[in-house]
Amino acid sequence: MEDSINIEDFDNLDNEENEETEEVPLTAAEVIELMEEAWRNEKFAPDILPNKSEVVDCLLGQISYMEENLRNLKTADFQKSIHQLEVDRLRFLVSSYLRQRLQKIEAYTFIILRQEEQRLEQNEELYLTNSELEFARSYKESIEQHFDDILSFWPGLPSDEWRNDPVVPNINSFVFLKSKNEIEGVVIDDGTEEEEDLVDFKTGSQLIISYNSVANLVRSGEVQLI
Amino acid sequence: MFCDKAHTLIKELDRNRDILSPYNNDLVTEIGKEITTLIEQNQIDAQTNESRNSAGVSLIPTIRVRHAAIHRNLRCILAYHYNRLNSLRTMRWEFGSILPVEIKANLSTAESNWFAKYSSMLAKYMRSLGEDGGVNLGIDMRPPKALYIEVRCMVDYGRFELSDGSVLLLKKNSRHYLPRCECEELIRQGVFQHIVN
Repeated sequence: MEDSINIEDFDNLDNEENEETEEVPLTAAEVIELMEEAWRNEKFAPDILPNKSEVVDCLLGQISYMEENLRNLKTADFQKSIHQLEVDRLRFLVSSYLRQRLQKIEAYTFIILRQEEQRLEQNEELYLTNSELEFARSYKESIEQHFDDILSFWPGLPSDEWRNDPVVPNINSFVFLKSKNEIEGVVIDDGTEEEEDLVDFKTGSQLIISYNSVANLVRSGEVQLI
Repeated sequence: MFCDKAHTLIKELDRNRDILSPYNNDLVTEIGKEITTLIEQNQIDAQTNESRNSAGVSLIPTIRVRHAAIHRNLRCILAYHYNRLNSLRTMRWEFGSILPVEIKANLSTAESNWFAKYSSMLAKYMRSLGEDGGVNLGIDMRPPKALYIEVRCMVDYGRFELSDGSVLLLKKNSRHYLPRCECEELIRQGVFQHIVN
């Protein structure tokens, strides 16, 4: 009897997924795939990408569900260790993704927050989740306070300078990518005003290209960084 | 020479890339003094009539040089502190929220405060993740290869309870075969050593 529980886990998950997110019914495997894609993109993109909090929450729910099921299995069960390893892998995937984002937020706090505010003003979709935003704000505050402490020996020092010159991600860095669709006429942005070179992506083709030329395609999910 | 001390400070930072050297309070204070002196001198000269000295030579170049020196000093100071914060940040991920004593001794008061603040920020963020009580991002740092790993205990740690309720007695030099996720934290704290065949 024990054996059948594990196999059912995944089926149950599928059903649950359907109930939770009615608009986009996803199977467990699809959620994992989406997460892996988001993770790879986040890992290789120099800039922060729009958050995938639905996928993360979904997968986190799944992980705790699977852990719950595993707890009911006998310790000696061979299947348990296999599934436990699988759960561990998923946990690594999610935490690595979230850590990756935190790292970017910390490194580029000032510029990311400024961009977020612009997006907020123009009513665009925000890239950070609420808790990430909160974290970014308190991180920024702590850095500012620390710097102000250091420069407090001369009150009224022109301390604004470092604020105007924040650390920025190098969006011109090169990335490897794989195209998921046929995309025509991608402009290669080489930073000059001269004539623009165009390139067509074929489905499944792999390229090296500077990130800023394809940033939009990465965000919309039409290409996958590898 | 202007900015010599700032240069020394940056060199010191550069030499200790992987470790956090003791906070160089003396040098930072001295650079602060240098900046203050330069600003004061500039202010005096700027107020002098039409910025010319008694010989009728313009003081503006002098002021400009001092101004550049002030900015360079500021930049160096900020770079020094910023890089220290960055390595502190890395250590938060390595050691958890409690720093080893020998590292703590190398921090300035402001840095200790910042570290505490950073820890609580991070804890707050981790708690907000997911639906039930948050996710500890401090574990699962490396992709898991095997479920169980072999570890050697380096200190007399005492009793250690596993998440399934069984209790182990960890003695120095004892070897254990444990679930990886249970001992990851202890490995980073130096209690366990991972035995790789």
